[in-house]
Amino acid sequence: MKGEKLMIYKNIAFKADPFSYDLVFDDRITLVGGDSGTGKTVLYEILEDLRLTDGYKRIKLFNYKSDKFLESIKQCKDSFIIIDNADILIDDDIRKFINFEFSNQYMLFLRNCDGLNVSDKSFKVLKLDNNRITLEEEL
Amino acid sequence: MIDIYTEKKESKDWILQNDLYFNLNTSNEEMSENEINLIQQVDEAKLTPNKHIETKYGLGTIRNLSSGCKTLLNIVKHPDKVVCVEECGPNVLKIIFAMDNIKIYMSRPSLADIPDDAKIRFNDSDVVIGSTGYNTWWSKEYERRETDDL
Repeated sequence: MKGEKLMIYKNIAFKADPFSYDLVFDDRITLVGGDSGTGKTVLYEILEDLRLTDGYKRIKLFNYKSDKFLESIKQCKDSFIIIDNADILIDDDIRKFINFEFSNQYMLFLRNCDGLNVSDKSFKVLKLDNNRITLEEEL
Repeated sequence: MIDIYTEKKESKDWILQNDLYFNLNTSNEEMSENEINLIQQVDEAKLTPNKHIETKYGLGTIRNLSSGCKTLLNIVKHPDKVVCVEECGPNVLKIIFAMDNIKIYMSRPSLADIPDDAKIRFNDSDVVIGSTGYNTWWSKEYERRETDDL
């Protein structure tokens, strides 16, 4: 249905010794914020490998090293898009794309939510507890 | 005095891409005891003399520090430059606002723990004091942006 919130992955779970990741998503757009040094870029780098596996082929990753970011992201359909360094990468044009390209799901390492159609379920932080890493609601 | 700039500018005196600048420049500089302590404080990372780091996520090099930690080191090592702090978490912003004689760029009011006696100058013009002055300035700025339809 047009406008319906599509979830490409309701959760992403994998092991990366000594850690096990269990990431559950509650909205089409997830913003991961919180303190610096909580492992966002570490997660991004592991996902670069995970996307090459059969179960996670729909993951598309972007960061400040990505070539032709604007053109590339706009070609994404039915994808789980992850953007690191999003605060310096995304502009109003990309925000509009994120809001209205409903076939994609997004996980953004981003603090500035201005102009994004997010809900209170969108705001998450990474939590490490006993080598288990989860996404928890940002208070 | 902390100088805050709120309009982005492309200049060799500005650092907008902190990871890139750090990886190519700051990471090659000698780290002082104070900077080693900042790395420990922000990323809980132990820096070795040969620039390896040991964190709870594993071993790496200084280029594997978090973007927030790299931003902080860019500021400390290059106080003459205007450094973008939009990727910094609250833990790093708290350290930044406790510093003096630095220049930072932010396009919106990042939530930060600001000391009551912090002296802040916006865009080389308005001088305010502490978190009250900081919040008041941003309130007025948002009114201005709304009026100007920005």
